[in-house]
Amino acid sequence: MKGFLKRLSPFAPDNSGVVSALFELGGLIAICDAGGCTGNVCGFDEPRWFTMRSAVFSTGMRDMDAILGRDHLLVNKIVSAQASVKAPFIVLVGTPVPAVIATDFKALRRMTEKRSGVPALTIESTGVNYYDKGASKAYEMLFDTFAIDTLPVEQDAVGIIGATPLDFSTCNAGKYLSGSVEGRGIVYGMGAGLDEVKRASANRMNLVVSPSGIAAAKLLEKRFGTPWKMDVPWFPEELLALLPPLAGKRVLIIHQHIAACALREKLLACHAADVSVGTFFMTEKSLLQSQDFSFKEVDDPAIAVREFNADVVIADRNFKKVLSGFNGEFIDFPHFAVSGRVLEEQ
Amino acid sequence: MAEQYYFITAAELAQKGQTQIPDELVGNKNLIYSSPATLAFNSPGAQGFGVKRAGLAVPDSVMLLVAPRCCGRNTSALAAPGNLGERFFYLLLDDTDIVTGRHLVRIPDAVKEVCDSLPKPPSAVMICITCVDALLGTDMERVCRKCTERAGVPVEPCYMYALTREGRLPPMVQVRKSVYSLLKPLPKRSDAVNILGFFTALREDCELRFLLRNAGVKVIRELAGCADFNAYLQMAEANFNIVLNQEARYAAADLEKRLGIPSVELTRLYQIDKVRRQYQLFGAAIGAEFDDAKYYDEAALAIETFRQNHGKISFSVGEWLNGDPFELAVALLRYGFEVPEIFGTVGESNFVWVKKIAQLSPDTRISSNLSPTMMLYKDNEVHCDAFIGKDAAYYHPGVPGVNWNTEDQPFGYAGIKALFTGLDEALRAGKEKK
Repeated sequence: MKGFLKRLSPFAPDNSGVVSALFELGGLIAICDAGGCTGNVCGFDEPRWFTMRSAVFSTGMRDMDAILGRDHLLVNKIVSAQASVKAPFIVLVGTPVPAVIATDFKALRRMTEKRSGVPALTIESTGVNYYDKGASKAYEMLFDTFAIDTLPVEQDAVGIIGATPLDFSTCNAGKYLSGSVEGRGIVYGMGAGLDEVKRASANRMNLVVSPSGIAAAKLLEKRFGTPWKMDVPWFPEELLALLPPLAGKRVLIIHQHIAACALREKLLACHAADVSVGTFFMTEKSLLQSQDFSFKEVDDPAIAVREFNADVVIADRNFKKVLSGFNGEFIDFPHFAVSGRVLEEQ
Repeated sequence: MAEQYYFITAAELAQKGQTQIPDELVGNKNLIYSSPATLAFNSPGAQGFGVKRAGLAVPDSVMLLVAPRCCGRNTSALAAPGNLGERFFYLLLDDTDIVTGRHLVRIPDAVKEVCDSLPKPPSAVMICITCVDALLGTDMERVCRKCTERAGVPVEPCYMYALTREGRLPPMVQVRKSVYSLLKPLPKRSDAVNILGFFTALREDCELRFLLRNAGVKVIRELAGCADFNAYLQMAEANFNIVLNQEARYAAADLEKRLGIPSVELTRLYQIDKVRRQYQLFGAAIGAEFDDAKYYDEAALAIETFRQNHGKISFSVGEWLNGDPFELAVALLRYGFEVPEIFGTVGESNFVWVKKIAQLSPDTRISSNLSPTMMLYKDNEVHCDAFIGKDAAYYHPGVPGVNWNTEDQPFGYAGIKALFTGLDEALRAGKEKK
């Protein structure tokens, strides 16, 4: 049945992706919900919430706010909080409630900017899509709003777009990715802040490490001519150590698309017989190969294992629950957006 | 322009009165700061005992969450504590569903699929619905009847309507009604009572059980103590219900209406004399005389021992704990301790304690955990020697104290004794560390 899930719990939603992309940038983030969505984002999908303060708030909508569309009260609350927080920008994040009542986010953006005097971003996530879709919208709008000035190119500057704990399952991903590129790795949203976003035109190139960074990289290419490519330059050492013995094996990797494809290259370099990639999340057409899979329903990974005749599956261990017929080797590759598990918990 | 977090002194708040509580203390008048200090109670589905976990309090039941994926995301975290992960199923809604409500026709088939996937039929399927269906005006009772016809098992709704949190029937009130709604009339047993209010059991050493037994009550049932669905159904034979949490009043009223079981309400208190008085009144109401001297003396000794060991120390009191922070603060003040700050939600039920605090400690700061200005609270901004409450712990890293939010529920003298024993251990450990 479409949308029916058993054994697995839902993956991270688009509103979590928005917050994850913008968490470290110093903005006032107002999630337009009644409290439950914010509880899920902060209490579960954002591991940095427990070690780092960020101005993420719920708008605390109530039934009459939704029924009567009292946007002016919402803006009052935002302006009042902004007086305390003094953030350089404000973000309004959509959830199912505004989607149902068809909130006019463009109007909200204008009202908020007028009353607060700072730029506002409105991201119409709905809570029904996956995290990468929300993160993609957030990155694109962030660079579109703040990366305006054309600066001289700095030859050592490499922008890294698309890194979130949801993708890389560690709060230290910024440090790891930055240290894995030649030159000065600028990891947007995980170490690099709003000032670096404003200076994005100075990058020699941009490296996209998850599909959520593609739209922003294309925008920066169009606006400044900055070239970009897709790759993941860092994987956990524990995972890399397990690859050489997979020579001669047929391997299915389930993860976010760019990470899975980058890992495929490493496996082929270790002489794996063949490698297929499957994902529930966004795919990049140019990386797809004929043996790859795009999953829609919970039974699809088991079908992929059978069709590809995989000897080995590399995936978050939560997927084991839906691969009951698979008797081959399973290698755990945590994906926070799936299991909510960070690498450090392994 | 606020430069620091918002607080108001107890004296100022008492002077304003219950009808003029400042907006900064009222959750829905501001953006809500979901800091780690608030996650247990600021979201009907987040950490702690939210609607999802509570709905599964019915033994051998399973839950079908019918919602956008964002509503079910945190459920992975519930898989660990009581192996609840196997009891959750999901029917995820897409963009069209949340606008048109077309998902409603699929729910009976989804319930059938849930039942067919299990080795034995569940006792009940609890259907958890969220804000989307609140806005669509879904008649979930009707959908549940269709589900029962289709799958042949009882199906009950659990309303996780965060939008109605400050309404007449907020989610945690509704879910308490839901979990008792499967009880059917049984012949009454004069020596049986139920304890309502919590989803986990009272502490084993709680004197309430002993006092009731001495008064002739032979069977005391709690939801958490029901080993299976048949044991749960036996709750319908109770002579009366004891309500220990006001959020269970609505459920108790429903049980009285449907099954003819009357109820009596007791309050969790930390003032030892008030505990005694409450037992006297309770005894009078049911025609029994409770001999509580032994339990009273034990609790009094725990307080006195703590006072001798640690002196007149100061406490930061939070609201993520088993109790009302304002009543607890009054108890601490009356025992001779200091309470420089309280994090809590002031309302009709506890304003009486605010007035008392204003008399005993007028300068005590009162803040709302949910205020956006709490972002500006610096660690240990207010000096205290110990904390009580998991939220207070968040604001005071490095300070000893007790979270006091355990799942075994403290009540009465046993609760007081356990609190001071726990504090004594925490402070000794803290001192040893220093």
